Amino acid sequence: MKPIEILLVEDNPGDVDLTREAFEVGKVCNSLNVVPDGEAAMAYLRGEGPYADKPRPDLILLDLNLPKKNGSEDLAEIKADDMLRSIPVVILTSSSAERDILKSYELHANCYITKPVDLFQFVKVVQAIQDFWFTVVKLPPS
Amino acid sequence: MAKVDLEEIFAEARFRAIAICLIVGAFVMMFAVLIIYLYLQWNADIAERKRVAEQGKLAELHKTQAILQAAMDNLERSNRDLEQFAAIASHDLQEPLRMVASYTQLLAERYGSQLDDKAKKYIRYAYDGAVRMQGLINDLLAYSRVATSDFSSQPTDSQAALEAAIQNLSATIGASRAIITHGDLPTVPSDALLLTQLFQNLLSNAMKFRGNEPPRIQISAQERDGEFVFAVKDNGIGIEPQHADRVFVIFQRLHSREEYPGTGIGLAVCRRIVERHGGKIWFDSAPGTGTTFFFSLPK
Repeated sequence: MKPIEILLVEDNPGDVDLTREAFEVGKVCNSLNVVPDGEAAMAYLRGEGPYADKPRPDLILLDLNLPKKNGSEDLAEIKADDMLRSIPVVILTSSSAERDILKSYELHANCYITKPVDLFQFVKVVQAIQDFWFTVVKLPPS
Repeated sequence: MAKVDLEEIFAEARFRAIAICLIVGAFVMMFAVLIIYLYLQWNADIAERKRVAEQGKLAELHKTQAILQAAMDNLERSNRDLEQFAAIASHDLQEPLRMVASYTQLLAERYGSQLDDKAKKYIRYAYDGAVRMQGLINDLLAYSRVATSDFSSQPTDSQAALEAAIQNLSATIGASRAIITHGDLPTVPSDALLLTQLFQNLLSNAMKFRGNEPPRIQISAQERDGEFVFAVKDNGIGIEPQHADRVFVIFQRLHSREEYPGTGIGLAVCRRIVERHGGKIWFDSAPGTGTTFFFSLPK
C-alpha cells in the first residue's frame, strides 16, 4: 500500500524528532518528509532544486514560527496556488494566541492545532491527526 | 443819536453774544469730542487686552492638547508593546519550554530503567519546573490581556454574568459538590466578559480553598452611594488579616503548592478587572470560618 506522504515544515530539531517518533507509532503507513524553513517548504512543494523528485504531499503540517519565511506566508501562497491549494494544511504550532488562530483560518488553513506541552498529550495529538486525516477523512485523489 | 447808538450797541452786543456762544459751543464740542475719543480709546484698549488674553488662553489650550495627545500616543505605544510582549511570550517562550518538558519525559520513559531513583527525581524536578513555568506564562498572558483588551462598558445583567461563570465552572462545582446561591443582582455598567471572569475567579477560589465541608457560596449585591457593592461569601478556610495586601498581588501565594495548586493570579486578575471599572475590591475573613469578598462597581 502506498504510504501517505506528509510534509512537515518545522525548524526545531527537537520537535522534528518528537513528531517523527509519534508518527511512527501510527497505524497507517506514512512517510514523513521534513523541511526546516518557509522557503524550503515552497521549493519542496514546487519540486524545485534539491526537491525535484520529491513526491507531492497528501498532507502538510505547518509550523507558524519559521525562519526565512513564516508559516502564514506559506499558507497564503499554498492556498493561492491552483496546483497546491487542494492539499490539506494542518497548522501545528506552539502558539495558542487567538490572533494566530484567527489569521490561520482566515488564510484557509484546514485546521489549527496547538502543540501540547506534555509529551504524552503530544503523542496523542499526533495519533489523533493520523486517525482523523488518514482514516476518517477522504483525502483528495493525487 | 440815541436811536442809532442803541441799535448799534444792540447789534454789537448781539454779535458779541453770538460770537461768545459760538466759541463756547466750539469748546464744548471739542471737549465732548475729546471725551468721546478717550472713551472709545479706553474701550478699544479693553477689547485689545481681552483679545490678547483669549489668544493666550487658546495657546494654553493648544499646548495642553498637545501634551495630552503626546501622553495618549505614549500610552498607545506602551499598549502595543505589551501586546507584542504577550505575542512573544505565547510563541517564543513556549517552544523551549516544551522541549524541556517533552525531553525530560522522554528521558524518564526511554532510559528510566538505566537511571537510579535520584536521577529520576532530578528529572521529575526539571519536568515540574518546566510545566510550572508554562502555567506562569499562560497566567501572565491572561493577566496582561485583562489590562490591554478592548473594554466596552454596557448595562450588563450581573446575574447573567454570574450564571455564565457558574456554567464555565460546572465541572468543578460538581466535583466539589458546591452549593451556590444568590440574591437579586442588579444591572450594572460593565464589560460583560470581564464581569464573568471576575465572578469565575472568586467562585473558583471559594471552591479551591474550602474547608472540610462542601463549599457553600452566597452572592449578593447592595446599592450604596452611587455604586453597587457585591459580596461573595464562602465557608472556606479563610484568610488571616496580615495577608490582606498580599492576596491581591500577582503570583503571591499563601500556601505551598502541595496544599493548594495554582500560580496565585486569580485575585490579581480580579483586582485588575475591578480597578478597570473604577471600583475597589476587599475582603472580610474569619480564619477557619470563611471569607466574604466585596467589590464595588460605580453606577
